[in-house]
Amino acid sequence: MLESHPPVGRVVATELKPSTPHQFYFWTARESPIGIGAIVRVEEQGRVVFGVVTDGFAYSDLVTPMHAVIGADGDPVAAGIEPTTRAEIRLFSAAVLRQMPEEPLQPVPLGPVWLASDADVVLALRMDSYTTGDRPTGIPIGLYAAGGLESPVYLDCDFLLGPEAAHLNITGVSGLATKTSAVEFLLSSIFQTFPRHKGSVAALCFNVKGPDLCFLDQPAALNEEDRRLYAKLGLRPEPFSNVRYYAPFKGDGVNLNTLRTHDALAANTEPLVWGLHEVLDYAEVVLNRDDVDAKADAFIDFLGERVVGREYRDEMLRGKPFLVQSFADLEEFFRAIFEFMEVLGKGAEVWKTHHLATIRKVRNRLSNISTRSKGLVTDDGVAHDLPWGRFADRSVHVVDVAGLDPLAQDLVFARIVSKLREHLERRDLGVDHVVVFVDELNKYAPADGADTYVRKMLLDLSERGRYLGLVLFSAQQFRSQVQRRVVGNAGTGIYGRMDMDELATPGYATISPATKIKLATLPKGELMVRHPHFTQPIFVKFPRPAVLNSREGIERFPPATDLPFAEAVARQMRGLDRRVATDAVCALLEGRREDDVRRALSATRRERPADAYAFFAACLGRRVNGEVVVPRRGIPAVRRADDSYGR
Amino acid sequence: MPATNLAHLRRVLAVRGLTPASVIPDASGGRTEEACVRPARLVEGDSLAWRPVGAAEPWPDPLAFLDGIQRSELIAYAGAAPIVVGEIAAAVRERAGRRLTTVLTERRVIAIARPSALAAAGDALDGLESVALPEDEPPHPVRDLFNAARALDRARGSLELLVGDRFRRQSEGWLVVDGSLTESPGWAADPRMLGISKSHATLPFEGAELERYLRLPYGHRSSVYAPETRSLAPVRAWALRLWPWEGKDLFHGLVRIEVAPVNGSTEMADLLARRLLAERAPLSTPDPRWDRLLYGIHSVEQYLRAQVRGTA
Ligand SMILES: Nc1ncnc2c1ncn2[C@@H]1O[C@H](COP(=O)(O)OP(=O)(O)OP(=O)(O)O)[C@@H](O)[C@H]1O
Ligand SMILES: [Mg+2]
Repeated sequence: MLESHPPVGRVVATELKPSTPHQFYFWTARESPIGIGAIVRVEEQGRVVFGVVTDGFAYSDLVTPMHAVIGADGDPVAAGIEPTTRAEIRLFSAAVLRQMPEEPLQPVPLGPVWLASDADVVLALRMDSYTTGDRPTGIPIGLYAAGGLESPVYLDCDFLLGPEAAHLNITGVSGLATKTSAVEFLLSSIFQTFPRHKGSVAALCFNVKGPDLCFLDQPAALNEEDRRLYAKLGLRPEPFSNVRYYAPFKGDGVNLNTLRTHDALAANTEPLVWGLHEVLDYAEVVLNRDDVDAKADAFIDFLGERVVGREYRDEMLRGKPFLVQSFADLEEFFRAIFEFMEVLGKGAEVWKTHHLATIRKVRNRLSNISTRSKGLVTDDGVAHDLPWGRFADRSVHVVDVAGLDPLAQDLVFARIVSKLREHLERRDLGVDHVVVFVDELNKYAPADGADTYVRKMLLDLSERGRYLGLVLFSAQQFRSQVQRRVVGNAGTGIYGRMDMDELATPGYATISPATKIKLATLPKGELMVRHPHFTQPIFVKFPRPAVLNSREGIERFPPATDLPFAEAVARQMRGLDRRVATDAVCALLEGRREDDVRRALSATRRERPADAYAFFAACLGRRVNGEVVVPRRGIPAVRRADDSYGR
Repeated sequence: MPATNLAHLRRVLAVRGLTPASVIPDASGGRTEEACVRPARLVEGDSLAWRPVGAAEPWPDPLAFLDGIQRSELIAYAGAAPIVVGEIAAAVRERAGRRLTTVLTERRVIAIARPSALAAAGDALDGLESVALPEDEPPHPVRDLFNAARALDRARGSLELLVGDRFRRQSEGWLVVDGSLTESPGWAADPRMLGISKSHATLPFEGAELERYLRLPYGHRSSVYAPETRSLAPVRAWALRLWPWEGKDLFHGLVRIEVAPVNGSTEMADLLARRLLAERAPLSTPDPRWDRLLYGIHSVEQYLRAQVRGTA
């Protein structure tokens, strides 16, 4: 390689500080562009070595501090005005990134040192193997910057989204580490650069904190510098074009439990509603492990297979068959059992091989779920769910669980991830890869604490997801508080500004003291990246995400205040059809039972008829006696637009 | 020898009115010098006096330092006659803005031996300069080695002269030389050269005057005198105490300054002494001669050692 720039340093080696195949020392002039994290190239006699600076040292020829004192007559002022400044050295240690040729692996030669050029950075990080050729797999993550140079750094999507390796974890202190922002940026980068030959990709984000991910479809006002970074990385600063939001209802069943309730955002903000069946399938998620013994399991299975969602006949309990679709129905069923047993009198302990105590326990647990996940679980047993099987390429699905009870959050996590997994296994999700973003991972996969279903599921995802294209992007403030195997399985690790106490924990023992200092003082927008192709962690900077941040989002799109029932329904209806008038809806609801209204609304939402109002009104039926008019699930009339309810 | 508490002994001798002393390290790094007294002529006042020089004063830019080094190795005997290969080097480093940079440097490798020994080596020493030792007496390895050391000394001296002269051709600035100016008439007359000697093998006074000379207090200089020189290069000289010596040694911090006669006035001697005082810092430690070795000279020496060692 011919050099137009002069070298900035020279490798030195002494017996105490020798060059090895994995590290070396070099000195520079007093003024040089070298800093911690800088990438350098050593070249000597056909051998090229790339390294990253891990530490720096300066010292003079002063033997002991005492001599400085004597020389200055004890006067610190005089010490600064000595006629000659002492000879001094700027010495740096560097860790080897790559040796060329790789074999035979030898100590770093004692040659001149250059600051890495763009081309050098590509080689040093082994990006040549995946950013060139006719099937490149590079995904821009940020710019490596040193000495006035700026080089794009790419991750290899084979190692980020599978199959070679997968998953990403980002850690760092609140606010300063820009964790959520970095993930938003990277998702956008993936959507823009994920190669066609690798197939399709979608993202599913759990919004776990306030308005964090609520405005992914809204553009940000970026400054010049951010735009420059985007251009340098070859990316367009655009918000996500295909985003759908899902949020459960609040307890009233009509107001959405999210901060994304501004009218202007209603079109792609939908309720997340599950039926009893969906919940029961994941009952073990929310039932305390100790409670759910084999007996309880058997009874839950019985409920799931024989009772819920179908007609259950038991002349002994009741003449009319049971049709259990909601928690209320279930409660009715339980009551029938208990009444029946009471009638049998003392000594009657077993109903259909199930012990009465077990039945009671299961009933108590399930009713607990229904209280705690009110708003998520529908009364009519009809779910409004994610578009399983119809995930579009480059689509983002945000499930807002920020306002949910932790138990309900677990339920949402468990079911959605399991569904993703099932569909990806069957290859019928609609896309080949899904990135699941879980913020605040320490809450869901804590290092210590009970081995919950969600934690086991996340671990399983981190261990097996890459074969399926199911990829976990996770973030937390303190990596040490997350289950080690979950973060350990992340092929790519990102570190923003870190807390010194956290850096003192054993997990960071391999990071040099100087790199730790750099991490502890890292400015916003700069990150340290570990990636399988990079032998050493690399520092990069990235632009602000091109989506409206949560603070500005909340200002621009203040959440609508919770509306009284009728108006809330009207708002929902307007989300389906902008022509619907609030007054008309309010008038229509006059004197109706809220349950009936909710069912009608849910049916309308499911059906998405051309004339939402007419359909809705038809569902509600005549206002005779408040009797439930909407046919139950399984009756086809509701499912078609050309039936008697239609125009 | 019975174990003796030397520190205790020093104290006892001090009580008896003697001056405690410590072993003084060899001043001139291998140069051989005979100890003697060569009475000098005072040119300032009638009797040898101590003069306080006043507060240290910075030397204006630029200021250059010249020094040389030598290194030798006995490599063979031709019969009983030794063959020595010596390496000599000299350099000037100039200071501007508190930073020293090397402006001139010269190196030589020379073979030193009797002509017959050199001849016996044949073409093995080709490419090296050679210096012939006298052959008027039969070979004696010890004497020959002693002679070789003196020859290397002289060669080093000549290289320093060469480098000094070359510097003068390219610069008008002050040049501080390690050692005496009397080696060259040109240097001895140079109005911008100053020699600083750490060694006191040759002393300018005897008896009570010598004691007065050696007891010069810190921050003082002696009266200016004209040393007796064998060479025809008259200079002016004075002693200067750079560090308090009491409790250490008579020679601690004592240097002899030489300048051209034009700089021999009281005012000039005071001025130069004040400037030299400012050069005490930074210390040239870990060199054991740090009390007399200016950092600038030390730096030239370090530079040369790094160069010579670098190719050893
Ligand atoms: N590339 C960037 N350059 C500079 N500032 C940025 C960049 N990206 C994000 N920021 C700013 O940093 C702030 C914090 O970002 P973010 O919310 O992503 O942090 P976080 O690490 O996720 O915090 P928390 O732990 O509280 O969730 C935001 O105000 C954002 O504007
Ligand atoms: Mg965050």
